[in-house]
Amino acid sequence: MNQENHYKDPPRLADRFFDWYCYAPLRETISGDLYERYIDNIDRYGHKRANRRYWFDVIRFMNRHTLKRSRNSNIYNNNQIAMLSNYFKVGFRNLLKNRSFTLINVLGLSVSMAVCLVIILMINDQLSYDGFQTNRDRIYRFTHERLNSSVDLPLATVPLILADHVEDQFAGFEHLVRFKRNPGGEMLQDGKAILISGLYTEQSFFDMFSFELRYGNRETCLEQPKSIVLRNDVSEKLFGEINPVGKTLMIDDSVSYLVTGVLEPFPGKTHLQFESLTSMTGMTNTDWERSSEGWIYFTLQDGVSMEGLSPILADLSKEHYDDQSEYLIEFEIQKMTEITPGPLYGNQIGASMPNFFVIGLGVLAFLIIICAAFNYTNLSAARALTRTKEVGVRKVMGARKLQLTFQFIIESILVSLLSIIVAIGLLQILIPAFEGLQLSTLLDWDLTITPKAYFQFFLFGLITGLVTGLFPALYMSSFRPIEAMKNLLGTNKLSKVGLRKALIVSQFVITIVLIISSTLVYKQIKFMVEKDYGYTKENIINIQLQGQDYQILRTELQKLSFVQEVSGTSIIPNTGRSDDIEARRNIEDEPISFNFFAVDESYINNLNLELIAGDNFVFSQMLGEETTIIVNETGAKLLGFEQPIDAVGQFVTIDDEDKKVTIIGVIKDYNYQILYMDIQPMMLRYLPEDFEYAQVKLSGFDILNEITQIEEVWDAFDPNHELVFKTFQGEIDEFNAFFYDILYIMGLIAVLSISIAGMGLLGIAAYSIQTRLKEVSIRKVLGANVRTLVLLLSRGFIMLFGIAMVIGFTLAYLGNSAWLNGFAYRVSFGFDIFALTAITMILVGLLTIGFQAWKATFSNPAQTLRDD
Amino acid sequence: MNNKLGEFEEIVLLLVAAQHEEAYGLSITKAIEEELQRAVTMSSVHTALYRLEEKGFVESHIGDAEGNRRGRRKRIFVITALGKKALHEARDARNHIWNMIPKFVLEFGH
Repeated sequence: MNQENHYKDPPRLADRFFDWYCYAPLRETISGDLYERYIDNIDRYGHKRANRRYWFDVIRFMNRHTLKRSRNSNIYNNNQIAMLSNYFKVGFRNLLKNRSFTLINVLGLSVSMAVCLVIILMINDQLSYDGFQTNRDRIYRFTHERLNSSVDLPLATVPLILADHVEDQFAGFEHLVRFKRNPGGEMLQDGKAILISGLYTEQSFFDMFSFELRYGNRETCLEQPKSIVLRNDVSEKLFGEINPVGKTLMIDDSVSYLVTGVLEPFPGKTHLQFESLTSMTGMTNTDWERSSEGWIYFTLQDGVSMEGLSPILADLSKEHYDDQSEYLIEFEIQKMTEITPGPLYGNQIGASMPNFFVIGLGVLAFLIIICAAFNYTNLSAARALTRTKEVGVRKVMGARKLQLTFQFIIESILVSLLSIIVAIGLLQILIPAFEGLQLSTLLDWDLTITPKAYFQFFLFGLITGLVTGLFPALYMSSFRPIEAMKNLLGTNKLSKVGLRKALIVSQFVITIVLIISSTLVYKQIKFMVEKDYGYTKENIINIQLQGQDYQILRTELQKLSFVQEVSGTSIIPNTGRSDDIEARRNIEDEPISFNFFAVDESYINNLNLELIAGDNFVFSQMLGEETTIIVNETGAKLLGFEQPIDAVGQFVTIDDEDKKVTIIGVIKDYNYQILYMDIQPMMLRYLPEDFEYAQVKLSGFDILNEITQIEEVWDAFDPNHELVFKTFQGEIDEFNAFFYDILYIMGLIAVLSISIAGMGLLGIAAYSIQTRLKEVSIRKVLGANVRTLVLLLSRGFIMLFGIAMVIGFTLAYLGNSAWLNGFAYRVSFGFDIFALTAITMILVGLLTIGFQAWKATFSNPAQTLRDD
Repeated sequence: MNNKLGEFEEIVLLLVAAQHEEAYGLSITKAIEEELQRAVTMSSVHTALYRLEEKGFVESHIGDAEGNRRGRRKRIFVITALGKKALHEARDARNHIWNMIPKFVLEFGH
């Protein structure tokens, strides 16, 4: 053995590390072995490697045998953890002991939580948009705002010519993608017409977005003009499972496209909605005034700042638009992640739920959860009295305030977690209900519960428990032990808790506001839907012409005995669509914007419109030569005619092309728009080439049979298309479905808030009356009658009720007036609404408080007073 | 606790028996390295020893501090009766399987 190495020391740090972690009884023997080995290694490998090996050995020695243990390895001997498990145990026993109290809390909380969970799911769904785009944080788009327009809505589209100009003047772009709506057309497939629509875009689309191709070349598929990339489901519909690349698509029998690719199914949701992508190559954009032309998305190169872009946009806007022009627009930049969910924009590339809707739902959910949380807080604070002894004993035994607070918070967390479980159960009913809404189909809601959502639910429950439990916990843990033990914290102290009263009042205010608002929304919508529109729509069905010749179809249909009238039109009234045109009497006049409908000579008769002056159109085969129009009363007045009859025979210029037409008739005003708008100037124009619908009035004796016969006529007439029709009323109902959705949600929430408030009141009344049971008994023994006793017990609540009603009614009036004023045809508040609300609230109060008070009054004094 | 003997544990236990009253962590590590030509870390030998002790196959006591140990004493491991029984069982099991092999298999290796 080499004597020189005898006193060599191993790395000191390693030694210290070893001493730090090693279990003391083993330390000596292991360290001896390590050293022996170290000396051997110096002999064998030299100093450096021996040091390294020593380190290695020290680290390798860490395992369950050698690591230090806490003094007692049994985990339950750890005081903190033992107390924690005790809190859970006590909390759980307490919940079981007061079953009715737990039931009220869990029911109230879980019902309102379920609504919140749906909203969490909705928000999740919205946030999931475009999550799969790897560039999502770097993609922006240009948007614009019209400065000289009465409509204050930013638009997501821009004139596409903007792309060329910004690219010239700003060097920092990485990719720039233009989109343009491709209305597409029909493709015949096995005798059936399939509509193909989508977006025009360019090759850089695939550089910017993370869509994958199943077939085709990602680098070149959109380079050639007339090339088309299909979404996978469209491709399957058209070609089946095979690879369609290289095939041609004939659209509308006139344009042929070459299929150059098929997309993989999208890995997630995206705001870019399209069925196909067609190459934009060869298309030019020149017109700065076409602000709805398309969309421009871009990414910037790394390190390039957005700041350089804004002045260029401002300059371009100044350069290309006249200050006074109605086309004057200001360009803006929007980040892609802020599109869905995002603020309301017109001309979106796909339907999306605007921010304010999400926020509105969130506020409602928040109100409900607040109501339920107030219940918990109230009931716990009230119940605190029965637990003063427990608090006293715990404090005497040495519990600190913090520990007690913690204990009570754990109890409330238990309640809220229990409620979350019930709420998740309730979701199974709520989700289908929400998915059945019209909105859901429009916005493509996906409300499946993912593991991530479960985690959020759990977190939500935890937070709710924490917040609701905080006040009762702080309150209860603040009792002083002696007072608590001696029961000196009488009812007096408790009744002084102004906060509890404030909570009851605010809960009732919220409920009152919700009841009034939902009743008003209901009335308003009912009013709008059932209002007499001023024309007849009964027994009329609207058939989509789908490009077929109206006149021929009309002749065919009129051969059927039950068809009473057929008229043609461009737009179905009251369904939210409108066409506009400008009209003026003299060139120098300010033009007036008119809505217009393209109609034929049977329209007025078919819809039972009333012609108050002049004549109807006359049938004419001549197309395109428009010489006559019919205006409505409002239109005639706005054009400056005192009496409708004055307008007849006068000339007006319509459109900008100085087209002169004669007013041949005036019709009585009728409602052709959504009912929150007033009647606007409108004209009927004789334009058969614009017809999209044939409106057929049936006799209505046997609708089913009649429709079958019409179907036969249609099939003989156009074998390629199915007959597409709706009843007039059905069409309007479909449009109004959105309002029904709002109604549904409001109603649901109102019912919820009433029941939650009721439950809360029940709990609090039951409790506070129980604490006064002895007082009631003594009064009874001394001769008080039932009426005075019930009154005595309810008096406190009646006061609170009164205050809540005053505040609630005021708030409801102010809040609802604001939105109702936006409607041209609105319902009035009326005494009935307030009366209804008051009666509901009083009923709830009577049922809860009155019943409890009555029960208390009839209890046997001998029993309640026995122990004293 | 599992009272079966693992393959590595068996080797360690055999060596504890072989180095009677002289066996400690490092000596066994060295024996494995030299006799069996197997690379082994000292910590795994120690772990095996502790596990054997838990199973009751060996006992340990603090021994002398002979060698380059900076005065640290050794932990000497001695096989127990239970350990001997376990070794016998392991050998019997092995022999039993050896006997099951037909003679020609071993004689004509290829």
